[in-house]
Amino acid sequence: MNIKILDSWLREFVITKAKPEELAEKFSLTSVSVERMEKYGDDFIYNIEVTTNRPDLMSIQGLAREASAILPEFGTDARLTLKDITKPTPKGNETIEIQNDPKLVNRICAAILEVKIGDSPKEIKDRLEASGIRSLNNLIDVTNYVMREIGHPCHVFDYDRLTTKKLIIRESRAGEEIVTLDGKRHRLSGGDIVADNGKGEIVDLLGVMGTANSVVTDKTRRILFFLDNNDQHRIRKTSMNLGIRSEAAVLNEKGVDPELAKKALLRGIELYENEARGKLISKIIDIYPNIPKERTVSVSEEKIKKIIGDVDLQKSEKILERLGFQTKIESGKISAIVPSFRLNDISIEEDLIEEIARVYGYFKINPVVPPVTNVPLFNLSKNPFYFETRVKNALKYWGFTEVYTYSMVSEELFEGLPRDGLKIANPLSEDLLYMRRTLVPSLLEVIKQNPSRDQIKVFELSNVYDKREGDLPKETQKLAGVIKGSTSFFHIKGIVEALFGDLGIKNVNFVKREDGGIGADVCIGKELVGDIEVLEENILDFELDFEKILKHVSLAKKYSPVAKYPPIVEDLETIIDNDFLTKEVIDEIKKIDPVIAEVVLLDQYENKRTFHIVYQDPNRNLSNEDASRIRGKIISMLKEKFGAFL
Amino acid sequence: MENELLNIKNNAVSLILDAKEKSELEEIKLQFLGRSGNLTSLIKGISKLPEEKRKEIGMLANEVKQTIEEAIDRQAVSLSKQTTTARREKIDITNPSIHPPLGHRHLITQAIEEITEIFEKIGFNRVRYPEVEWDWYVFEALNFPKNHPARDDWETFFIDEKEHPKYGSMVLAPHTSGGQIREMERIKPPIRMLNIAKAYRRQSDASHTAMFHQFETLFIAENVSISYLKGVLDYFTRSFFGEKREARIRPYHFEFTEPSFEVDVTCGVCMGKGCKLCKEGWLEMGGAGMVHPDVLKAGGIDPKKYSGFASGWGVERVLMMREGLNIDDLRLIYSNNLDFLEQF
Repeated sequence: MNIKILDSWLREFVITKAKPEELAEKFSLTSVSVERMEKYGDDFIYNIEVTTNRPDLMSIQGLAREASAILPEFGTDARLTLKDITKPTPKGNETIEIQNDPKLVNRICAAILEVKIGDSPKEIKDRLEASGIRSLNNLIDVTNYVMREIGHPCHVFDYDRLTTKKLIIRESRAGEEIVTLDGKRHRLSGGDIVADNGKGEIVDLLGVMGTANSVVTDKTRRILFFLDNNDQHRIRKTSMNLGIRSEAAVLNEKGVDPELAKKALLRGIELYENEARGKLISKIIDIYPNIPKERTVSVSEEKIKKIIGDVDLQKSEKILERLGFQTKIESGKISAIVPSFRLNDISIEEDLIEEIARVYGYFKINPVVPPVTNVPLFNLSKNPFYFETRVKNALKYWGFTEVYTYSMVSEELFEGLPRDGLKIANPLSEDLLYMRRTLVPSLLEVIKQNPSRDQIKVFELSNVYDKREGDLPKETQKLAGVIKGSTSFFHIKGIVEALFGDLGIKNVNFVKREDGGIGADVCIGKELVGDIEVLEENILDFELDFEKILKHVSLAKKYSPVAKYPPIVEDLETIIDNDFLTKEVIDEIKKIDPVIAEVVLLDQYENKRTFHIVYQDPNRNLSNEDASRIRGKIISMLKEKFGAFL
Repeated sequence: MENELLNIKNNAVSLILDAKEKSELEEIKLQFLGRSGNLTSLIKGISKLPEEKRKEIGMLANEVKQTIEEAIDRQAVSLSKQTTTARREKIDITNPSIHPPLGHRHLITQAIEEITEIFEKIGFNRVRYPEVEWDWYVFEALNFPKNHPARDDWETFFIDEKEHPKYGSMVLAPHTSGGQIREMERIKPPIRMLNIAKAYRRQSDASHTAMFHQFETLFIAENVSISYLKGVLDYFTRSFFGEKREARIRPYHFEFTEPSFEVDVTCGVCMGKGCKLCKEGWLEMGGAGMVHPDVLKAGGIDPKKYSGFASGWGVERVLMMREGLNIDDLRLIYSNNLDFLEQF
């Protein structure tokens, strides 16, 4: 969350010689980040990002305290000047009955005033506008001014519109309707903190936004100035459910210090007296059921030295003191009572370490790259990331472009029965609904999204997700590719074979697809590892189980002696019925004699197949007679087994 | 015999000088020096000469042989020069080339590879953990309070499956930090983890994609200090962004680290002076911090004995910050527009 404040406003509460630029830099280094500085007349606006654990810094006074804590560490003096406001005496005895529910609201401070509505003076307007808050009228402006200055959100009712003079704090019921002060109608889902006027009518949505039926108008003459410190989680829920992200809601959901409520009330009364001719006409109401418990946290010198380095206890204690802790040093430890405005944030030793370290200055700590010790052994052939890179590089150099598509797909792109899928309970859109079980449909979308291309080669290596009962899904890495354009089954088969070859995988088989589709199942030995699909004449794909492939990869090097004797090479033309697969024929030829070193299909036209055969004996020169003897055997086998004509 | 030798020499040399092709030279070589070449057969006759003549003629024959060989070599060299010149004159080198096939690896793959190399140099070990995770690993064990906004369904994707009795609801990992707990379960300290994986958040606009990538470091050993964290951050930023860029850490807040830091790098455009693209000279890179003792406990590690640091940053983010790519809409990265992907 961000806050914008004026430099001059800040300096009302902290006296220092530090220049604005200096202040901004020191804040960023040791506290909260000043994201931008803008010039504003003679003044400066700081735009500060406050982390969610520091709602105490969402105010001028909080930031002033912080400045007074951090600047001395840089050798710059800074003095905090918060004044106490004396309690005003009531000049009337108006009353309102407030019934609180301590489960919902920690503290309520309120007062009734007579006022005169009008414009705020220029200084207040300027300060608010510089803070990014629109000035409306003096009654509303005071609430915003107090919120900025002290850090507790506040609300103002038109007292006369609260006709029952009764506020009952309760949970909303599902289905109740309200109209917020911006004129928008909302249906509540239940559990929101509301104020009921005793007749079942809701007159405020506490901590989030006032309602139209009780808000001040041009005619307002008497107000109920109201500070409610609420259960932060309910505020978050209400604010998110209704989509009302008011500053009050954003602040309240972070947890505001209830100790601030009283100060804010008194400051508000003072401002109403000054800016709206305000007159207090009731006692000050303070209902405070949930007083935060005091907490003491301690930190040892040993721990400080171990984590931060050379910072001693005295220095650490000073830092904590300036941050508002009450400290004591005893037996090598600082014990620190946590200030009320930090109770949400500080509970263990490490929290104090953080406070000390940041104010001391992270920038003073020397960077050291930790020495590499106890190094585990490295095994390249067991490193999946190495093979990922290798495969991606291979595909790149074969002309493929890598894509990353979403892991979530629409029902249309989801392959399988919807009940087998992992479904997202709160999807962003129907396009991202199921965790995918296959990659190819996403890749086909890529093809579709690039319609002007005739030739596309894309691939992806990503997880797919298979549901398992009572357990996380099985995530399996798949490698898939799609080619569109002039291609054929044999191109894809070649890519798969070459990939496996590069990974040292032998024994790759292409068999008929189990599902009967056009293409092939890809097996290593007998294990199915993926498939090739011919989708259209010019669109083909493959999808392989990368996890299974990794089990078979090998970087082992094997040496076989380079052949000393020349081979005899010949081409054999055959006519064999097409029912016989080329692989079957080749396997049978190879079985005939060990000197048959290689058999490949050179050419096929209808039922004519030409095989290229290499004879080679590692131990001697083969003669033409040897070759012709083996050829004879091959021919008679082909005739016998395949009914071949030659 | 002398005359014959000289004739052969002259004859051969003039033929050699006339030769226009390397193949001609080969023929000439065969004709004179081959097994049954003119010179060879003449030399064979030397043994039949009278004793006193043999030496003199022998020397002459050798000389002739050498002369012919040298002439052939010289001519061969000059011929090859001529042919190259001739080719050069004929080639229009501005004509289009014939490419080997060359595709593209995704921008993110390239970044991940570089990040991995940088961290591996200082002993970090890359791992990867589930993308679909239990609440326990990504929230509960990381010290997120039950009501933390990240745990509500405005920020995190929930899977429509039964809750696990021990680990809670099933979600899409909103960050890679769950890997911290998984890694602590897998091995004992010292731990030097680099976890790079997909992460998912319920956000989609020009600067957010519902799916993105993070890289997470975790270092746990005895006596790990802020000093080590700064050392590693500094090493990474200057390796990845270049020596001239600086890193700083400043206070921040995360549930699973204490102290927590935000890491900034000097802006590459203004080099730290302050400009429109940065925040007073700095760009936010991501979070880091000392591992919270509750997180160590949740991972089964004794926080009294061990301490550690962790960091988790977006791959897309550091890449954009370095390259100054000015991609106006991050969703383009996962849009699968080939005109985009082929630029990298």
